[in-house]
Amino acid sequence: MTDLINQLPLVLGMAGDAAHASGGHAAGAHAGPVAGQLPSWVLAMPFLPLLACVLCGLCAVFKVRTKLPAVITVVSLAAAFVVALLAYQATMSGGAGAGQYAVVKAWDWINFQFGSQSTQSVVANFAFYIDALTCLWMLFVCGLGAVIALYASEYMSHDVGPGYTRFFVAFNLFVFSMACLVMGDNLLLLFLGWEGVGLCSYLLIGYFYTKPAAVAAGKKAFIVNRIGDVGLSMGIMATFVVFGTVEYTKLFELIAAGKTGAGQDLATHWSVWVIPALLTVGAFGKSAQLFFYVWLPDAMEGPTPVSALIHAATMVTAGVFLIARVYPLYTADPSLTVLTVVAWAGAITALWAATIEMAIFDIKRVMGYSTISQLGFMFAGLGLLTPVGAAFHTFTHAFFKATLFLGVGAVMHGFGGQLDLRRMSGVMWMKGFGLVGIAMLIGSINLSGVPFTAGYFSKDMILAAGFATPGTMIGGAQWVGWILLLTAGMTAYYTFRTYLRVYVGPKEFVPGDDPDLVDMGRHPKGTTLDEHHAHHGHGHGHGHGHDHGHSHGGVADRRLAHRQDFDPTTEEFDPHPPGLAMKAAIAIVMVLSVLAAGLYFYKGLPGGEHGGWVGGVVHASQVSGSQAVVDKAHGGTFFGQDPHKVMYYVSALIGFIGILIAAFLHGPKGWQGLFIGNRQKCDVAPRADRLANLFGPLTKLARNKYYVDEIYDALIVKQLWLTSHILHWFDKWLVDGLVNLFGLMPRGAGSIARKQQTGVLHEYALRMALGVALVLAIVIVVKVGGVR
Amino acid sequence: MPDLLEYAGLILPIGIILPLVFAALVAITPRGKNDLVRALALVGTMLPIAWYIPLASAFDWSNGSATHFAAKYQWFTPLGLTASFGADVITMLLLGLTVLLGPICVLASYSAITERVRTYYSWLLILQAAMTGVFVARDLMMFYVFFEFTLVPLYILINLFGSTNRKAAATKFFLYTFTGSIITLAGLIYIAWQHKIARGAWSFDFNQLRDLARGLSFEQQKWLFWAMLAGFAIKVPLFPVHTWLPLAHTEAPTAGSVILAGVLLKLGTYGIYRFVIDFLPAASTYFAPTLAVLSIIGILYAGLICWVQTDVKKLVAYSSVSHLGYCVLGLFALNSVGLTGSVLYMINHGLSTGALFLLIGFMYERYHTRSLKEVGGLAKVMPIWASFMVFFTMASVGLPGLNGFISEIMCLLGTFQASGLHWGMGDGRVLPGATWGELGPWYAFAAGLGVIVTAMYLLIMLGKIVWGPLKEPAGHDHGHGHGDHGHDDHGGHAKLSKDLNAREIGVLMPLAVLCLVLGLFPQPLLRALEGPTREMARNIDRFGRQQLPSDDPRLQTPSAPVTAQAAIAPGASITPPAPAATVGGEGR
Repeated sequence: MTDLINQLPLVLGMAGDAAHASGGHAAGAHAGPVAGQLPSWVLAMPFLPLLACVLCGLCAVFKVRTKLPAVITVVSLAAAFVVALLAYQATMSGGAGAGQYAVVKAWDWINFQFGSQSTQSVVANFAFYIDALTCLWMLFVCGLGAVIALYASEYMSHDVGPGYTRFFVAFNLFVFSMACLVMGDNLLLLFLGWEGVGLCSYLLIGYFYTKPAAVAAGKKAFIVNRIGDVGLSMGIMATFVVFGTVEYTKLFELIAAGKTGAGQDLATHWSVWVIPALLTVGAFGKSAQLFFYVWLPDAMEGPTPVSALIHAATMVTAGVFLIARVYPLYTADPSLTVLTVVAWAGAITALWAATIEMAIFDIKRVMGYSTISQLGFMFAGLGLLTPVGAAFHTFTHAFFKATLFLGVGAVMHGFGGQLDLRRMSGVMWMKGFGLVGIAMLIGSINLSGVPFTAGYFSKDMILAAGFATPGTMIGGAQWVGWILLLTAGMTAYYTFRTYLRVYVGPKEFVPGDDPDLVDMGRHPKGTTLDEHHAHHGHGHGHGHGHDHGHSHGGVADRRLAHRQDFDPTTEEFDPHPPGLAMKAAIAIVMVLSVLAAGLYFYKGLPGGEHGGWVGGVVHASQVSGSQAVVDKAHGGTFFGQDPHKVMYYVSALIGFIGILIAAFLHGPKGWQGLFIGNRQKCDVAPRADRLANLFGPLTKLARNKYYVDEIYDALIVKQLWLTSHILHWFDKWLVDGLVNLFGLMPRGAGSIARKQQTGVLHEYALRMALGVALVLAIVIVVKVGGVR
Repeated sequence: MPDLLEYAGLILPIGIILPLVFAALVAITPRGKNDLVRALALVGTMLPIAWYIPLASAFDWSNGSATHFAAKYQWFTPLGLTASFGADVITMLLLGLTVLLGPICVLASYSAITERVRTYYSWLLILQAAMTGVFVARDLMMFYVFFEFTLVPLYILINLFGSTNRKAAATKFFLYTFTGSIITLAGLIYIAWQHKIARGAWSFDFNQLRDLARGLSFEQQKWLFWAMLAGFAIKVPLFPVHTWLPLAHTEAPTAGSVILAGVLLKLGTYGIYRFVIDFLPAASTYFAPTLAVLSIIGILYAGLICWVQTDVKKLVAYSSVSHLGYCVLGLFALNSVGLTGSVLYMINHGLSTGALFLLIGFMYERYHTRSLKEVGGLAKVMPIWASFMVFFTMASVGLPGLNGFISEIMCLLGTFQASGLHWGMGDGRVLPGATWGELGPWYAFAAGLGVIVTAMYLLIMLGKIVWGPLKEPAGHDHGHGHGDHGHDDHGGHAKLSKDLNAREIGVLMPLAVLCLVLGLFPQPLLRALEGPTREMARNIDRFGRQQLPSDDPRLQTPSAPVTAQAAIAPGASITPPAPAATVGGEGR
């Protein structure tokens, strides 16, 4: 820990010489002036979370059994958020022009000269590259981090003690790693963050480590990500070989000049598509695209705050960030091969995940697949040459998906871990869950793309790009557009399927069977939950509602009867509504996801006429190096109309159709189902069930996630497992057997020579003699060879 | 430290003599005074650290390739044998690892070894002396004597203090490695003999023999290459001569495993670095692809075998085979990045794998089993142990920010860079981040797949032993570290706490701190290794070329390849470099 303590001065901004600022890149088309002298206080962004991580670690050492770790985390992340705001201010002030940045160095990490020329060096420092794109990402990483930490302070409260501390250690380490990923001034530091967030994801998915499913899910996430990471590390090495550097500053200069490090023409060099292709493999792994997606649904085994922050809002967008960060490299290829692949991969992933979501019943996994699907939209946006659309969608998605996850978490927390949408109904009308219902509605309309929501504007930019980008630039861009449009409709359907089943309709529920969470809602018959908790000094100081209106008895007790320690004759279960911290966090993200829509209309920044505030931010960043190519991506039409204008109406229409279908199939009777629904119970939606039966095998296929896990298991895992066994056998009997055979020979010879005497020493002597003979033989052989 | 430097001639031998003196003291301690023995052993291993610290501060790290603290004493003049000592940067680093692991091994054995305590600690101390001797020797015969002598203490440690199958393991370990090193000896003697022929006198001096060996014909070098490699490759161990290692590791006592993995395996890579590559540049260049292929096979093959192990100690032992594959691969990249990565790998592997063996030893003392089928989910009952386990596993996986990453990525990058075939631009120049060499991206990719396999088996190990539902062996007595489980050599020791005690944590902490520090602040080491490895790479290129057969395709490329590098200055427009650039770059 000493090195961490040594960093303290840096964190406090006292290391005067630790920082140096650099100017804008002059060689680019949008060269800007020096972005001010960003002082070393920006280092607080990564190092405050690290400090918090160390402090939480000390809490573990001193066996703190309070909520202190949560307090430390919320305070430090909120402070980091303020620093991010200040850094944004400093970066964007100075008036402007695109491509401003500053590099602030903390210390030399790797600086290794491998040849006689000083340029022949591997340089990757612990230095941070701060430009508009960095600030955009850090704003929502730190901001959401603080809010979700606040939520987790209550959500994890059943585990106060070592588990609670462990949670926040990993949580802070995650934010630090994410900061390295986003802010690193070179690809190796990005890789450090990349694998660091992977570690934290592993630790947090496996938080409930006694549950085999959680352990397996964490393992799977790490290993699948590692497959992508091999691609990424190869890409980084190829970048180094070709450009002679992995530092963005130098890299972007070379790309802007269209040269490799050796002065060759980049556009015709093989590396122009090979390097992006390799980096894309890494991006697909981290962002769960194409066949890499399998780890993300399983990652839902982690605590819900983790799913909200890591597996929805921030870490999984690292792939989008990586491509956006080196976007000029992607657009340097005249044929845009890799971006075409990215566009198609995104569209296919979006559609694929959406079909699964429509069939499964686990609301948290619906959100997990929905994240995969939305990440598909972002990748498609990058591929369709609208980096602004991709960044904007990442930004809005971070907020509304966090809202949805926190809402789902509140339900899970309150209903004993229940996640099956057939086992709950009318949650919104239960006491203490009103805010959750409203938040879920806000999140759902964003995700469905209901007009004038943030999600609507950001998704539209990507959809429109599908039709505006000419097929001559991105092959089949129109088709990508159509796939995305179809997926948008499906998205609206599955989102409201969940909402209409769980949050509205008749009040009814079956508690889940998570032991810790069930304990929060159980109480002896004849008392209320409040009385029970007041009596037993339950750790929750907030008000507990008790709603006698819902249908008890029936299903609820049947279900709980499976629990050995739950006696339905003397005990009953009541939903446990979220407390102050959780409600506050939900309210904040809800409000932010509403406000995010306003950003679309903020035109105050240069480049803001397209994409509003995020457009301006992206324009001000290094992505502007691709501006020339991006500007060319126009001219396509949607049935003769300008896609950017007509898409507002088309996508709104598609979204409404999706919502109406959801209401028709799953909506409750009456106004809550828009007067077209007919559902009356929580577990039966007659029309939907009939339809599902109609599709029979197809439904089953989607419900079982197309058996992709099983196929992987049979084709790859089992085969490797078999190979390993064969190799083990081979090693034991053949490789080692041969050795043993050699070992036996002198022993056999010895047993002939000596009659009775046995002794280890004899054997050694014999070996020695044999050895010397061998020496002589070799010497002779070599001698002969030497003479020749 | 000028006063120290005046006695520079004596300072290195002290590092050998100190543990020997204490070994003698331990041996003559009256029977039954086990605590005194342990205290003496601890002092005997702490003093070398006190010896090392001023040594390291007096060492000129900016000139790491030169021999410091050199001293030479006549030994047997007719054969040119001398007792000659010296230290360069790689010696210093490996010495540091050796002296660090000394007290750690002593402390880690306090509760595990309760019988024949004197024998145990005196051989442990003798082992440390022998390892120190290997690294500071500057006379080939002296090196060889120490090199072979390390076998004896470890043989005894395994044979007397190991697990059930210890006798067979010890014998196999001894005979296997001994057979290999006899062949190496033949090679060394041959070089000395050539010296006698060429210069008229016997000599075993490192530098003299190196200069001579580099000038040997390509045909001679080829033979010598395999002869010298035989002993070192077995020691590393390189596929397919690795099978002694899992057995030896499984049966060895904890401290034996730690030293075996931490230092003794490094004698092999040290030997390759110092004698194979540096002495025989032409043959090394010629056989680099072969050795790289063997290394990569070792990485993947041993990695996959790890997956199906049920004995956790055997799993970590096979993982050493896999990991050392990267180390050898980096060496045969024959460029500065690869060589540096490889040297760092020697250190880092010693720290992280040494710590894993310690952890497994601590678990074994409590549960008397290493089987993943019998024990698991220990995070529940041993949270401190579990935290360390996760930490060191991550260091072993090569997680960036911890030490393993730096060395692994440098070995891979060195391999990736080293290809005239891929990176040559046809006009005698290579791409700016590339070097000439025989490997290249496909080798790096194949080895890179090993990164996935590593994550797979190590996380599966964690998943079984640390996470998951708690599983303890039947009849395990909660809260007691021991019981009668039929282990004759484990009776009567002190009761152990359920989780790690202060002594055990104290043993692990220095390793953990080093893993973190070397992961985040590797720059001082990189700076120290930069010059020496660059010089070595240049020598490989220069002397290698002289001896390669004239029809070798490698000679078709120009000698001192110029690395193409456009000047990058902020604001400067980038112009292609002049075609007739004549800057001499070290291509390797």
